[in-house]
Amino acid sequence: MFSKLFKSQSALRRFYSTATQNLTEKQEPKTYYKITLLRSAIALPKRYKDTLVTLGIHRRMQTVFHPHKPDIAGKILRVKELVQVENVPASAVRTKTEQRWERRPDPGFEVVGTWKNKRWLLDEEGI
Amino acid sequence: MFGPFRPTAINYGGLLWKTPWKLSPTRKANQRKRLKRVDAVIETVRQSGVECTALDEALRLPKEHEMPARDKYTVFSAKAVGYRKGIHKVPKWTRMTLRTNPRGF
Repeated sequence: MFSKLFKSQSALRRFYSTATQNLTEKQEPKTYYKITLLRSAIALPKRYKDTLVTLGIHRRMQTVFHPHKPDIAGKILRVKELVQVENVPASAVRTKTEQRWERRPDPGFEVVGTWKNKRWLLDEEGI
Repeated sequence: MFGPFRPTAINYGGLLWKTPWKLSPTRKANQRKRLKRVDAVIETVRQSGVECTALDEALRLPKEHEMPARDKYTVFSAKAVGYRKGIHKVPKWTRMTLRTNPRGF
């Protein structure tokens, strides 16, 4: 009986988690374009390059975020052969610096203290 | 007929670049991939709910699965015999929109 209850509870939990997931997805409307330049505009007419500059893209594989607006849509469609576009919610928008920090690998260690402040030593001694 | 001074096209004309008259199956597959990628971009912009002239024009273009092979791999050419030439003869053809034909062709 207990196992049966547990099973039903876990099922219930799963149901709730999916329900909340759906809720959060519904709560966050996708209002931004995530634009990545896959192909360069080298040797194309100058207006293609200029369009990329106005979108804030200056190198291949660079990702920028722009809100859903007609002028941005027009720019994307001008360079539609060069870019990859995704619709994302506002919470997924990242600046260049944030994107770089997210790309960083795990350093594999954690600084617990430095020789100068000796916090780690005090912790070990229980002071 | 043989030897270093034989009369070949390279010896007579110097540099010789050979462009095949039609695309290989691999190049055609790559072309289809590119067309699908552009379709995906247009579809994403359509899903964003924005309305603009550029989007209307882009939606008027045929999609990859709607296009006949003739339009995917060849383009209209006023000078070519039969008014068609391989799409790979167009400069920068992998980064241009060459989906539609002039009216009547």
